[in-house]
Amino acid sequence: MSMEQFLQAYCYVALIAIAVISLYGIVRGPSLIKKLIALTIFGDVANALIIYVGFRLSEEIFVPVLPTLEPTPEKIAWFTSVAVDPVPQCLVITAIVINMAVTLFLAFLIIQVYRLYGTTAVKKIAKLRG
Amino acid sequence: MNSKEVVIGVSTALLLVVLVAVVLLGGTAHTPSSEIRPLAKFYLENCLNVFDRTWWTASPEAVTSMLWDYRGIDTYYETSVFFLAIIGAVALFRVVEVKLKAEENERRESGLSIIVKSSTRIIFPLILVVSASVAFHGHLTPGGGFQAGSILAVGPLLLIAAFSRRYLEEHLRFSRDKFLVLRSVGLILIVLVIALPLAAGAVLMLNQPKPWLPAYIFPVAFDPVWTSGTLFFFNVAEFLAVGAGFTLLFLLLSIPEEEFKRVLGI
Repeated sequence: MSMEQFLQAYCYVALIAIAVISLYGIVRGPSLIKKLIALTIFGDVANALIIYVGFRLSEEIFVPVLPTLEPTPEKIAWFTSVAVDPVPQCLVITAIVINMAVTLFLAFLIIQVYRLYGTTAVKKIAKLRG
Repeated sequence: MNSKEVVIGVSTALLLVVLVAVVLLGGTAHTPSSEIRPLAKFYLENCLNVFDRTWWTASPEAVTSMLWDYRGIDTYYETSVFFLAIIGAVALFRVVEVKLKAEENERRESGLSIIVKSSTRIIFPLILVVSASVAFHGHLTPGGGFQAGSILAVGPLLLIAAFSRRYLEEHLRFSRDKFLVLRSVGLILIVLVIALPLAAGAVLMLNQPKPWLPAYIFPVAFDPVWTSGTLFFFNVAEFLAVGAGFTLLFLLLSIPEEEFKRVLGI
């Protein structure tokens, strides 16, 4: 196993470990707020993982933006050979914003629950009637 | 430690081991390597391929050309998810029509110190300029409607923190309805740009002309401004929709607690 392969494996293991821990937090968090925090961590880790899959391990790396409006065939060939994968970035752009909107919506729900019941503890809410 | 916790602990550890094994055995197909996927190659080659314009999007930005051209319908539905999340939040707050009484809240709502207020006054226009720049250059440089809208929403959030919600409503004339309208205008613009090619007998969401379709509607550039066909308009419309949507959410989020207690009768 070379150094690069080891580092790749390390990054994957770290990201997946954070994802699993945040899943545990979503399931076992005692308060709705803590569940929400775990959910945002899970979303961010998922995005980081997707971005990482699109990374390119080579000597020369470039952003997926062609630096000219009048390209030559050589320029396009160079661009294709050095730019990172744009597909994951495209998926993540929308995911981040949707994540933020859904998080805000959930935050509103939790605030409303707190206003009505005076608590965000899951066990207490489960025992409430009416 | 009861049996339930043991089950949860063991299944969490099992999930971790299985996921790591799947990834290390090649579950993501290409782990980072010197080569990228053939699909990504296709996008990189064709986004500004002036020599074979069959698949081009007239934009040097591969991410934006994918976002609003190659898989534009998908982005449109993502926008509708965003729309629904905001509708849900507004619906949750529909019971509270807040009319803040000035004399009661005078002291509470006077905002932060003069230093914070002055620096916010300097930074606020800069935030607007940066967000507009990101939106209007979304088809040329990294960025686009989503990112620019998120940046734009930071401005009002800063104002709410430094001044107060009442300052926004009374001095700057911000209101919930205005942002609802602004966001709807953004979405209607997106729908218009999507539907316009139908008028020429082409298909929905067409950006650049295809050999097998009759239409040519969106020019690549209004000289000397390069607009990349539809991409520029999509970015600006999305900028409006996202920016207004988030500002609306922040305005709702900043309604004082006392008002709720009064309205809900708690």
